This record gives sequence, C-alpha cells and structure tokens, in this order.
Amino acid sequence: MSGVSEGRAPVAVVGGGGFGQGIARAAARQGLEVLLWSRSPRNLEGVKDTTSFVEVARAGLIFLAVPSPFVEAVAGEMGQQLDGRHYLVHVSRGLVGDALEPISLALRRVTPCRRVGALGGPLVAEALRDGTPSGAVVGTHFPEVADAVRAALGSEALRLYDTMDLVGVEVASAMVGLLALGVGYGRAAGAGPAALALVLTRGMAEAARLAPSLGADPQTLSGLAGHGDLLAVMAGDERPEVRLGRALAEGRSLDEAAREAGAHIEGVKLASRLAAHAERLGLEAPICRTIVDVLEGTPAQDAIRALMARDAGTE
Amino acid sequence: MKSPFELLSEYPLRLPRLRPYVPSPDDPAIFWFNSERKDIVREVVDRVVRGHGGGGGPGADGRRLELMLNDTALNEVRRLERQRDSEAKEQLPFYRSLTRRIARMSDGEKREAARTIVQRYARDVAGNFDPRVYNLAKHAVPRLLTGVMRPSSLPEELLPTGGGSIMERLLRIEGDLERLSALQRIGTLVYVPTHSSNLDSIVLGRALEVAGLSPVIYGAGKNLFTNPIISFFMHNLGAYRVDRRISARVYKEVLKTYSQVMIERGYHSLFFPGGTRSRSNLIESHLKLGLAGSAVRAFANNRVHGVDRNVFFVPTTINYELVLEGETLVEDWLKEEGRARYIIEDDEFSQLDRWIAFFRKLVGLEAACIIRFGAPLDPFGNPVDQAGRSVAPGGRTIDPGTYVMKGGRPVNDAARDAAYTRELGEVLVERYRRETVVMATAVVAHVLYRHLVAETPGLDVFARLRLRGEVAVPREALLAEVGATRERLVELEREGRLHLSEGLRRASPAEVVERALAVWNGYHARIAARDLGDRITAEDPTLLLYYQNRLVPFATELVTDAAHAEAAREIHTIGAVR
Repeated sequence: MSGVSEGRAPVAVVGGGGFGQGIARAAARQGLEVLLWSRSPRNLEGVKDTTSFVEVARAGLIFLAVPSPFVEAVAGEMGQQLDGRHYLVHVSRGLVGDALEPISLALRRVTPCRRVGALGGPLVAEALRDGTPSGAVVGTHFPEVADAVRAALGSEALRLYDTMDLVGVEVASAMVGLLALGVGYGRAAGAGPAALALVLTRGMAEAARLAPSLGADPQTLSGLAGHGDLLAVMAGDERPEVRLGRALAEGRSLDEAAREAGAHIEGVKLASRLAAHAERLGLEAPICRTIVDVLEGTPAQDAIRALMARDAGTE
Repeated sequence: MKSPFELLSEYPLRLPRLRPYVPSPDDPAIFWFNSERKDIVREVVDRVVRGHGGGGGPGADGRRLELMLNDTALNEVRRLERQRDSEAKEQLPFYRSLTRRIARMSDGEKREAARTIVQRYARDVAGNFDPRVYNLAKHAVPRLLTGVMRPSSLPEELLPTGGGSIMERLLRIEGDLERLSALQRIGTLVYVPTHSSNLDSIVLGRALEVAGLSPVIYGAGKNLFTNPIISFFMHNLGAYRVDRRISARVYKEVLKTYSQVMIERGYHSLFFPGGTRSRSNLIESHLKLGLAGSAVRAFANNRVHGVDRNVFFVPTTINYELVLEGETLVEDWLKEEGRARYIIEDDEFSQLDRWIAFFRKLVGLEAACIIRFGAPLDPFGNPVDQAGRSVAPGGRTIDPGTYVMKGGRPVNDAARDAAYTRELGEVLVERYRRETVVMATAVVAHVLYRHLVAETPGLDVFARLRLRGEVAVPREALLAEVGATRERLVELEREGRLHLSEGLRRASPAEVVERALAVWNGYHARIAARDLGDRITAEDPTLLLYYQNRLVPFATELVTDAAHAEAAREIHTIGAVR
C-alpha cells in the first residue's frame, strides 16, 4: 500500500481489451507509472503488466475496463485488496442484471470503494491509443476523482469534463451503446439519413423517458455522454456495437456477429432488460422493443414497418 | 409584559445547584455536558466566524464577512418584523442598525458584529443537561403515561417499585442491543431513525433507557418548546433548540457546527434524516441529511487531528400501530404533498385530550410501538462488528480512516464529505425498508385500499378519497386476502427484506382485522373501516391510504389475486417510489 500513501501513486488499468490498453497508453504518455492487469501480458511501452490485484492495490486511481457482465466478479475479487483510499473509475456501457443496476452501485456493493466514477462520452479506444483529439466526461460525486482522472488522462488532445450525475453518465452510455447497434444495423439494411435521424432522435427521447426511473437526470443525455457520444457514432467511429449491428443485418447469427465485432457486446442483453423494465413501469419504449425483436429474429422490414405504423404524437 | 408561561418557554427553568455536579467515570458522556458547555459554544463560534473569513490572520476576508452580515441582517429583519414579539422588540434595532452600517464598517467591526450574531445563535441553540432532571424523567414519564392510560392504576404506579409496566408492554425494542452497548463505549453513536410523530424522540429516549443505552442529544424544533413542561424537560435533557423560522444561512451553519463539535467530543446523538415527520407515512426515501453530514465531518476532523474515535450510525425504525397525529399529517400531505406547513403547531401533539385518547386506546395492546435498531454502520455505509471495526464486502476489516485520506494523509474536504453523506443516505433508505416492522393496521389498510383502487379504475387519488364508505369487502374475502398478504410478508421477512410484528406473525387473519379496527376506531375522529358483520367497508380512504403507505414499496409483491395486480402496480407508484 505504500504507493497509495505517497503523493504520486501509480495508475492501474484492469482489463486488457482495446479500451483498457488505450487508457494505459494515455496514462503512460503523461509520464505516470502505469499497471495493466490482464489475463495475458500486453507488452505496451511504459506499462507494467500484472496479474496480481495486490499489485493493482498500490495504485490510487484504478480504471476498470472489463465488459459489464464481468465487472461484478472482477471487482469483487479485486475489492479484497482495496479500501477507502482507492478511486475506481469504470468505462463499461452496461447496466447490471434485470434490475438494471448502474455499475457504480455494483462497485460500491462488491468493493469497499466509495470514491467511484464512470468515464463516458465520445471517447473511443483508437483516440486514446493514438492521442488524437477527443473528449469525454467523468461522472462522479467526488471532485477528487474527476481531478485524478484529469491528471491521469487529460492532455491537449483529450478534454475531460465532469458531472455529478454519475448514474446519468452510465445510463447515457448504455443507451447510446444500444442505439449504436441500431445504427450499424440500419445502415447495412439500407436505411437513409432521414430514417437513421428519426430512430436516433426518438431513441434519445425514449432514453430521456427511461432515465429518471433508473436514477439519472435526463439532462445528462444532452451532454457528451449522450448526444456527444451518439454524434461520434454517426460520424463513423466504427465502434464494436456498430459492427455488431451491421453483421446482424448481413444475416450472421448473434454469436457470429459478436465474434466478428471483436468485443463483448453489452447492448444485446441490455435491450431486452430495458424493454422489460419499461413495460413494468408502463413507459413507452418502442425503439428498445424493436431492437429486441430484431435480435430475436424478427425480419428487419417487419420490425421497421411496425415501428413506422405507430401513431405519431406531439414531439 | 410577558406572562409567566411565555417566560418559562423562552427562558426555561433550571434547577438551582449549590455545587456543580461531578460526573463519575461510568456516567454517560452527556453527564459531562454542562462542564463543557461554555467551551463548546466558544468552539462553535470560533469555527463559524473563521469559516466566514472572520478569524484574523491570513484567512481573514472582509468581503466574505460582509456577505454573511448582509444575508443575516436582511433575513433577520424580515423575520422579526413578521414575528412582532418580545424577541423582535429586543433584536430588531440591532439588525436594522447593522443593515445601515455594514458598508461603512471596518474589518474589525465586521468581525465583532459577526461574533455577536453567531454567539447569540450558538447560545440559543446549545442545550443543558441536568442529571437530576434525567433521573426524574426516567421515573416520572412512564408512570405518568401509565396513569393517563389507566387512571385506576395511578396510585400503585406512583409507588417507587411500581412504574413502567404498561409502558414496557406497549413498547417493544428489537435489534442487537449488546452490540450497541459495546459500541457506545468505544465510539460515538448517531441514531438516525424514521420520523412519524413528535412522540418519536420521547419513545426513543425511553427505549434507550430501557435498553441500558446512553441518553443522546438531539435537535428539537423551537415549536416543541412552547409548552413549558415539555420545554423544561427538553432543555434539561440535552436537547438543542432549532428555530426553523430563522432563514439566515449562518444559523444553519451554527446548527451543523454545534452538532459536529458535539459528535467530535463523543456525545451520542440523534437526528431524524427525513427532516420532518413523514406526512404520508411512506417509508422515508428522500432524506435531508444536513445534520447527518455533520457526523461525517466530525469523523473526518477527528482523524485529521489524530483522534481515533469512530462514529457509528444506527439506522432505526420507529413503528406505530396507531399514529398520534396521523389524521393531521395525512391531510397535510394531501393538501400540498407535505409541503404545506413545515411546522404544524396545532396538531394532536399539542392537544392534551388527544394524548389521553391516544394512550388510552393503546392500553392493553402489547407492542403497539416497536423500535427496531438496525445493524450499525460506519459513516461510509459499511457494517461494523462488535469491536467497532468496519467490515468490507467479503468480511475483511478495513480502516474507515482511509476514506478521508488524500495523498496519504487524512484531510478535511467539505465536497467529499457531502458526497459521502449523500451516499450514506441511500444506504439508510435501503435499511429503513429492511428494518420496517409491519403491523396489523398496515396490512388491513393495504388490503382494503387495494380493493378500493381495483374497484375504481381510472380514478385519481383525490377522487378515490371522496368515496367514503362506498366500497365494501365481504368478510370472508377480506380474511382470505389478509391471510395471503401476510404469507407474502412472511416470505419477504425470510428474505431479510422487512420484519413483521410478533402479533401479526402469530394472529389469525380474523384477529389481525379485529385488532386493526379496534386500534383505529375510537381514537381517530373518523372511522377508518367499519365492521358490518358480513362485510367490512372502507369508510375513510384517507386514513387507509395513510396506514397502507408503509407497504407501498412491496405492493406488487404482496398481491396474490391477479385481478388486483393492476391496482397493486398503481399503489406501487405512490410517492414516486420506484
């Protein structure tokens, strides 16, 4: 623990996927001591590989870059080495279980850490890796966590904003992940710009309806974590969710499409959970429903026809 | 000219003492209060004035002092002009003169004025503790209540060996008292109960005494001091006065700082995080937490100064089968969703005849008030073990001091502590649900109200509340539903999600219904439900709504009849509970 108790503790990244590697490289560029926890070594310049959570616990700031279905197990194991000193920031785009628990809450449940945050917005792994201009938002209730993330990653190439609406950032990230899947699918299925704009705009309205029921402020969706992130999708950032949607539209099975997209896709299970949640509360979520139908095998044309046949009300 | 009554409520009576009380080492911390009172007030004044840039030296800031003085003078002139009482007569000239002079004052004069104001507030807030009054209250209160409940027993209850038996039967205390007893010796306990009635602080005080736990200090609204007898007890038992009419920002700082200093010094405390009594009887889910935040800051500040005294929060539920002020509170909630009147001065709490009716109604009913002490938590929401160590998920013990560390050392940080407090509030809300004790009145009210909702689809809540006596449930159907609902509650209790009173768990459905009707009818001015032999009518939907609200978070899980599923969903949304 000595590192934590000194002023300049290392930064740790847990998860050696594309995003985890990008964070590790960005922190290393800042001249910080960086530890990367991964099942297999990544051999990045200026980054020390580790498979030990005891070593990770030397860090003050820990980024958690594992897909949401694995967050609980990984964080639970890591939490055995942590205490109130550690800041935990995750980058996952999911919500946990049928209760759609925000990951920050799951982290507080399975670890002793309280100073947690979520990194969201249009930031993608490639921008982090290459240091090309980009921006993101840190959701946290603790100003010192936002400061620590800025110190670790912020640079002339990366503008980092912060917000107290931590859950808002998590919900926005999850919803945009889902809509990105729709973008990939829609494009491959031949949807034009107007159709995509329609689906995405109404999709964000749907997200704003669902947000309060999940503990988020709908206004956060208007910021970097919501619309900012969605604009990056439309500008063609080719994130895994978009690739998954495209592969599905091209007729691949879910497993094949997920493999082809090259990452664990969190939006797939999320869509059906969100649709069930909306139904339980009597909230309208037709776009979530349509995504679920398509993922469950409804032909795209039928699903889109059903969506378009709905009564259009006042915006 | 003030009446003796007014004088007594403003300047409460203190018993004369020839020699100062010298506490023994075994006495609870509060027995030391009077010897520290001056010191505490001085410390509060110093901290608050310094916090506004009035401390002199490098931190001095005349501009911030001026802002504080302006805000205080403006708000106080407004308040006192409205009040037009003796306090106004005494203080208005000071604040009016201050308003005129602020712009011309030197920094030294501003400091002096700030100190005068803060000192006046701090002295008014600070309580008093007289061990003799404590002993008197310990013995007199249960006997008096017994006398009220059963006048014929008064002579025997007044005998030194008698007292307390009815009170003891009425009050049931649950929770790990042994752990609390151990923790109060090694740290500062901060009880954070739910708040339903102005009786709460009295019954909780009694519960602590019965359980062998130390007395606590707590803030009481100045409106409770208007009765000279209550004022006498409150003043001499460590309660500090909270004047909700004062809106000057610095006054709130004085209150929070007072509370912080007291907790830092090890005085066990009591806050109602809901801020005010639950108008709706819903389990509290929106907490104000202002004073609870002072406990988090106290912990941090002690660590910064090398004092290793832990703070333990004790989530507590106070569960009544019958709520003294139920009728007034629910009307207030319905009028303005509880915001109509923050301070209600004319409710049943201030009417002696309602007290008598209330306690007489409860005589013979065992465990009509259940106080349940939940598992204690550290200021960061971690459970603590018998030795006061914070327990992390997985069972490892951790040092709570790590939560206030930055760069390897403990530091004070107001924004951080506010975030911890908010998160602690979320844990408390979850604990309140889990520690709620469901009693017969809640179950019967819930089943009847669910019927009402099911039979009036499409009506809003206010239209429904006008349907007095229009919905009747056949007795056999009601008993079956009460039985089925109770079974579901037993399952939830098994899952650790709530608790049932012993009576509810054991009684037959017929006894549960009988008990609920017996408790309501005859105390409340209106009949809640009427027994017509073969059927029971939902006579007063407003009262039924109030009592059933305790079960709102569980509504969808309690329904067994598919025809009532939609009604249960609708009930689940009351108070925007997710």
